[in-house]
Amino acid sequence: MTGLALPAIVLMVVVNAYPVVFAGIQAVHDGDLLGLGNFVGFANFQDALTDPLFWRSARFTVIFSLCGVFGSWMIGFALALMLKPSFPGKNLFKILLLLPWIVPIVVSSMSWNWLTATPGSLLPTLAADLGFGRVMFLADPTMAMITVCIFKIWISYPFMMMMMSAALEGIEPNVNEAARVDGANARQRLRYIVLPMTARSTYISWILMAMFSVNDFATIFLLTGGGPVNSTTSLIVLAYRSVFQDFRPGFGVAISFLMTAALVTMSVILLRQMRKANMQ
Amino acid sequence: MDDTIASRLKMTRRSFLGTSAAAAATVALGQNAAFAAEEIKFWDMVWGTGASYTAAARELVGSYQPAGDNLGVRYQSIPWANWYQTFTSAAASRTTPAVSSGAAFLPFYFIEKGVIAPADDLIASIDKAGTNDFLPGVLDAMKTDLGYAAMPWSMDLRVIWVRKSLLEKAGVEAPTDWQSFIKVGEALKKIDVVGLGLAGGSTTTDGQHTVSALLINNGGGLFAKDGTLDCVNDRNIETLDFLNELVRKGIIDPYAASYTSDNVTRDWLSGRIGMGFGQTGLDKNFPAEQQPDLAVISPIKSPRGDTGTVYYINPLMMFKTTASQASSEAFLGWYLDNMKIFWEKGVAIDVPVRKSIADLPILKQNANLQKSIAEWQPIGKTIGAQAPHPFGALNAVDGGGAGAAFIQQIIEGKTGSKQILETLQAALEKIVK
Amino acid sequence: MSTLASRPRKLALDPRRAGIGRTLLTAIVTLVMLGPILVVFWLALRPRLYTEITGPTLETFAYIFAETDILLWLKNSAMVSILATLISVIVAAPAGYVLSRGRGGAVSAYSLFIFVLQSFPVVVFVIPLFIMFASVGLVDSLSGVAIIYVASSVAVACWMMSAYFDTIPVTLEEAAWIDGCSVFGGFVRIVLRNSLPGVLSTAIYAFLLAWNDYLVALVFLRSDDRFTLPIGLQTFFQQNQTDWGPVMACAVVMLAPPVLIFALLNRFFSIGGIGGALAGK
Repeated sequence: MTGLALPAIVLMVVVNAYPVVFAGIQAVHDGDLLGLGNFVGFANFQDALTDPLFWRSARFTVIFSLCGVFGSWMIGFALALMLKPSFPGKNLFKILLLLPWIVPIVVSSMSWNWLTATPGSLLPTLAADLGFGRVMFLADPTMAMITVCIFKIWISYPFMMMMMSAALEGIEPNVNEAARVDGANARQRLRYIVLPMTARSTYISWILMAMFSVNDFATIFLLTGGGPVNSTTSLIVLAYRSVFQDFRPGFGVAISFLMTAALVTMSVILLRQMRKANMQ
Repeated sequence: MDDTIASRLKMTRRSFLGTSAAAAATVALGQNAAFAAEEIKFWDMVWGTGASYTAAARELVGSYQPAGDNLGVRYQSIPWANWYQTFTSAAASRTTPAVSSGAAFLPFYFIEKGVIAPADDLIASIDKAGTNDFLPGVLDAMKTDLGYAAMPWSMDLRVIWVRKSLLEKAGVEAPTDWQSFIKVGEALKKIDVVGLGLAGGSTTTDGQHTVSALLINNGGGLFAKDGTLDCVNDRNIETLDFLNELVRKGIIDPYAASYTSDNVTRDWLSGRIGMGFGQTGLDKNFPAEQQPDLAVISPIKSPRGDTGTVYYINPLMMFKTTASQASSEAFLGWYLDNMKIFWEKGVAIDVPVRKSIADLPILKQNANLQKSIAEWQPIGKTIGAQAPHPFGALNAVDGGGAGAAFIQQIIEGKTGSKQILETLQAALEKIVK
Repeated sequence: MSTLASRPRKLALDPRRAGIGRTLLTAIVTLVMLGPILVVFWLALRPRLYTEITGPTLETFAYIFAETDILLWLKNSAMVSILATLISVIVAAPAGYVLSRGRGGAVSAYSLFIFVLQSFPVVVFVIPLFIMFASVGLVDSLSGVAIIYVASSVAVACWMMSAYFDTIPVTLEEAAWIDGCSVFGGFVRIVLRNSLPGVLSTAIYAFLLAWNDYLVALVFLRSDDRFTLPIGLQTFFQQNQTDWGPVMACAVVMLAPPVLIFALLNRFFSIGGIGGALAGK
């Protein structure tokens, strides 16, 4: 039976093996994009781990991923709950709410830029009218971090909404109804019935989204390019810039290896926890 | 294993596409066009006015009739987005075209790596034909120890533009030195107009061009005369202090820290920016009736009495992956002789580098361009200033993350000048080996 | 008692009222969420730079269809995406079956293997990938790009298929096996035949990934006649400014096919519980 998995394995090995091995070799050399350079052992890894920018980027990666995971989960879950009962127009809204996921990111990053970049843009004008004064959504380092995280949540919530909608479909209607008859209010039903019964989907959606977020290059790069002053530089953006803009592929690849190792370790631990908790 | 995937691909393709199978096959089959024998490839960036430039360039290349045994040329437009990735992956896999335009310092990197052929022979043949009318210094700027890295075709020269109506409204004359620049900026600020418009976002190099221009203006630059990194020097600190004053007085817009080049162009168009560095064709971005409102001013003097600005020479390079070097040279020579049409049609916004083009009547009538050529071009240097000639590592300096963070720190205005320059020096040391 | 007494009345009133209230609430939330997308439409309906027209106009659409190769880009995008989707499903379905039904060390190792591969950032490995593809002539080729899309979508596709297969009782295949059906035959005739929603969900996921990608296409596609839509968009970006009208009009065109697909296949699409395989059996 395992033979059925062969095409997928072959495909993945054929496409990935050479690049990964090649990158592994680059990671222990000091060359540029056109030449391998000299063998330097683990110097690139050492450089990465001692570079303050690496740790700053790691910090932002964590913030960005946590927002991406929990922010989009909360919104996606809330929308899934809202869309659960049937009401007029439900299917239309279901499709409309998926649009942020469908719009190509090249385009949505432009529309977000249009909404936020200049003082005359819609959101800064609105913020000023509401008495918040001068809000620089992209030009202020802290605000830029917030804006990028919100952008990420906006792009990702439809995925969560679909995951959680499917999970909610799995709850037997009479369980909920029985609880209602027993006098459980909406919040109690959410806490003691809906959340536990969707826990497995929830955890899995978290792990998947964490994986998508850590590796998410386009969202950040197209909106802020990692600025201002590196405030929105995540590890993947740093790795990309090191490889392609600074011509230091060894350093960039080392960063991505460290990143992947951390991601896999974290996910494996989470999955093991899940299995222990027997959330099958 | 490869075979199974390939055959699987063909199978699905055939069964799915049915009728358009023939078209699909030509499109889907990978071709290494650089080695195709019938014609050579010419890659061209989206210069000047964009779509209209590309249309003009495609038409020009389409009209090329190779003489003798020389091969014909196929035009391919290349987007600016992630250009470094496009070129480095092509070079690494030897799929570069025969001839290509590109970013200013790419040829210097490529010639060091042995990817492109020096242009010495082509220059010699132009000399022999007696048509060498390149403006003074332009060819020299392409020279390296390994020969001429590329042919220059135009120059992205940064000059100070003002909007006359806004200066008038603010009741001031154009500045002549740094002190008066601040005065004018303050007056503009009073009418809510930005006095030094620039785009400092991480996806553009516009802000880096402005700051480089001012560093050179004060006789400084990122490199010493011997070509080593020298960011932290007195002249540069003075320039950053000047910029910091502009930030504190609101003459530089804090929003500029995230501006894309599109954002800044739109601010020029809306009248929010009254003054700033720009390409010599900045006015081409405006509707015709507003173009006369824009004027290039004379270079301004730094407190030390120096003048200067930054320029980038747009290169045309010849890759070694050509099917025939003779064909590459024949085409490039012809292209350089016939490109005046870009200026005649108004689709090029940079300065021509040949006298025969600069002397075109349409350019003679352009007072802003003539002023740029007469007053600004002679005082220009590359971002390699004060090093004697450009080198490959500048490619990473121009447009890298270190440069973007440098500009953003300046616009943020929270860090001391010396510290900003030290941060830049440390970041560049990792890149410039 | 009072709750019980009031329930019938509430039940009688609730559905319609609550229904309309919910429609309103959902409409408001949707409007807020779609703000940035309304911007896309609004900009697409604005006149182009430097024209005399004021007010909404379809001028940009007329322009992109008349003056650009958008139909070609559309065709290329469709070809790449459909090719990638087909291969993705063909490859992921049997692999997902193994993940769903298989037990033991080999399957766990396989599960971890695809997980690790999925965690590698493609964007950093583009150069070696490019060199490899160039050596077999798959650069500047729509099938080359499609293969990369398959490779980047196949892991999640496997999980999605496997999650769906989990919902199909094993007893069905077992009965078929007893009747002399092979494992493969049982998979195709029994399991796959009953998994249309799972297949469609996987297909939509793979399609979207391919349809919207721009980073891979930007590097791998080099000729005008092979540009996909996201790369075609790039031709509107000038050195210093962008002609937003045509860009946004292209974006609207680009949105149409996926939206249509969702609208048509909405009821089949569910990506819930991807994790059977991921969580380990």
